[in-house]
Amino acid sequence: MGKMTFLEKIRIPTYNDPKQVTPGEVDFDNEKCTGCGICVEVCAANSLMMEDKKARMKPPVENQCIFCGCCAAICPAGAVSMKSPFKCTLFFKPIDHGEPKPPRL
Amino acid sequence: MSTQQQMSREESIERLKIDFTETEKVILSRRSVRLYKKEQVPEFMVRRILEAGRFAPSAGNSQPWKFVVVRDPQVIEGITKTVVNLCVLFRRMTDYTRPGYGWMKPSVKFFTRLRYNDLHPVPFGAVSLIAQGKLSVWHGAPTVILIFKDVRGVSNPDLDCGIAGQNMVLAAHSMGLGTCWVGFARPAFQYIAKWRNYFGIEFPFKFASSLAVGWPKGKPDGMVARQTHAVDWYESGQRRTIY
Repeated sequence: MGKMTFLEKIRIPTYNDPKQVTPGEVDFDNEKCTGCGICVEVCAANSLMMEDKKARMKPPVENQCIFCGCCAAICPAGAVSMKSPFKCTLFFKPIDHGEPKPPRL
Repeated sequence: MSTQQQMSREESIERLKIDFTETEKVILSRRSVRLYKKEQVPEFMVRRILEAGRFAPSAGNSQPWKFVVVRDPQVIEGITKTVVNLCVLFRRMTDYTRPGYGWMKPSVKFFTRLRYNDLHPVPFGAVSLIAQGKLSVWHGAPTVILIFKDVRGVSNPDLDCGIAGQNMVLAAHSMGLGTCWVGFARPAFQYIAKWRNYFGIEFPFKFASSLAVGWPKGKPDGMVARQTHAVDWYESGQRRTIY
């Protein structure tokens, strides 16, 4: 069972400091991306954009990705891969979370 | 009787090793849908979804919920406007990440320590997006199911409403519909008497959560990667941790 230190229990991270609150990250395969833009429309965190007819993540300040996976699931071309989850530090640090994995049999 | 029951136990266990069951597939591929077609969901399908909720387990079988179905676009739009206005206000009071508002940081952090669920970084960011009109509340879904809890329920009515809601969500996805849990409507019922009066909500009912229901655009359901969690496993007098 993971523990929190006393300081972690009382200190709230600064939300616009990328070291303290790290948004999730997804990767786009430019070869596969057809530029349909449906991932941008479904993104819950408004963190994706189109650039040169290819989907991209917005720059760090605007990226608020929560790693929900909606973009990866809806992409008809299978061009989205999930890279790293949304993470906070201090009071909101994840406890006992492991590497992301798809459903296992 | 399901095929699972007709097979011998050995046979059905062998099948499990090869593939997920239909129920598991619905659970594992359910994604929150935030892009809907305008086309309304047939009434009988919504009734079926409500049936799935009605048969959810609850503490002491107390069934501490009240479902309200809203299919009037102008009512959904009205509550959305109220929520947007509240988010604008809330953002003014709390968003220190805006340029020039860094001075608010210490006091907001103090309140975050007291109200850590409401001021968690995820809803904090979402409040901003809703206030700026970049995120909608029910994402244009033609049907909204509001879930109110009966606060007199046994033990933990919020949890029972969650169980009933998830039953409805899974039933909806098994029918090819899309759903999304929306807790953001709470302030509209907590602080604004207009909406409580409109739906006749008074003691012992309180807003628990709500569901957007509709036909999804594209094919949003599918299995994706998600964090594993350490699970402590106690057996034979020993502890091991699995992921």
